[in-house]
Amino acid sequence: MKTTKVAKKEEVTRDWFLVDADNKVLGRMATEIANILRGKKKPIYTPSVDTGDFVVVVNAEKIQLTGNKLADKMYYSHSGFPGGIKSIAAGKLIEKKPEDLIRKAVKGMLPKNKLARHMLKKLKVYAGPAHPHEAQQPKTLEI
Amino acid sequence: MPRVKRGFKARRRRNKVLKLAKGYRGARSKLFRSATEAVDRALNYAFRDRKVKKRDFRALWITRINAASRLNGLSYSKLIHGLKKANVEIDRKVLADLAVSDPQGFSEIASVAKTQI
Repeated sequence: MKTTKVAKKEEVTRDWFLVDADNKVLGRMATEIANILRGKKKPIYTPSVDTGDFVVVVNAEKIQLTGNKLADKMYYSHSGFPGGIKSIAAGKLIEKKPEDLIRKAVKGMLPKNKLARHMLKKLKVYAGPAHPHEAQQPKTLEI
Repeated sequence: MPRVKRGFKARRRRNKVLKLAKGYRGARSKLFRSATEAVDRALNYAFRDRKVKKRDFRALWITRINAASRLNGLSYSKLIHGLKKANVEIDRKVLADLAVSDPQGFSEIASVAKTQI
């Protein structure tokens, strides 16, 4: 156990991946993305260090949900005041803010700790087909 | 018989606990009663976690081996199954170390496992 190598925050090499959400099922895509963000696909994976890669998601507005979830799946938020609960159906959220749908799904699949917030920052979601990360030369990832 | 006062022993006994509680927050490092509770608990956790550590590390090794073997085109369970059939007795600790420090060597082991499936 003493010999098990631990990844160091400064020495982690991070790649960039490009995912096209067109016609993908939300949860299935989100699991793959969450695994990449956590770094579980790398042999140097260390639970206490964020070893994950960056993921750019485009065409978020074309994501698919199975069954009746567009109408039935509800997202809740609370303002903190009495009666301050707000709810929005998945179908409405896709029209209003498709990025949030993917971000929320991935967030729920990350560990519930400080590291998760760090990991979530490596996820870049865009509603349309364009993204400003050409300079990082993201590799296209088929899911 | 000479008269015995209890203060000396009592101080020794309390200081023993307070010494172990150094660095704890607030009263838990200063007051004997709070410190006793904190130290008892800490020692119990330490005893338990010396065993849990072994499980935690095995789980980590398996995660790493899984990641590395998937890079070589087979899953963790297939790899272990293949290695067992091939009578390769490298344990998970060494496999995980190979996966990190010698990916080439790991690929060779993975190919041995592949031939057995």
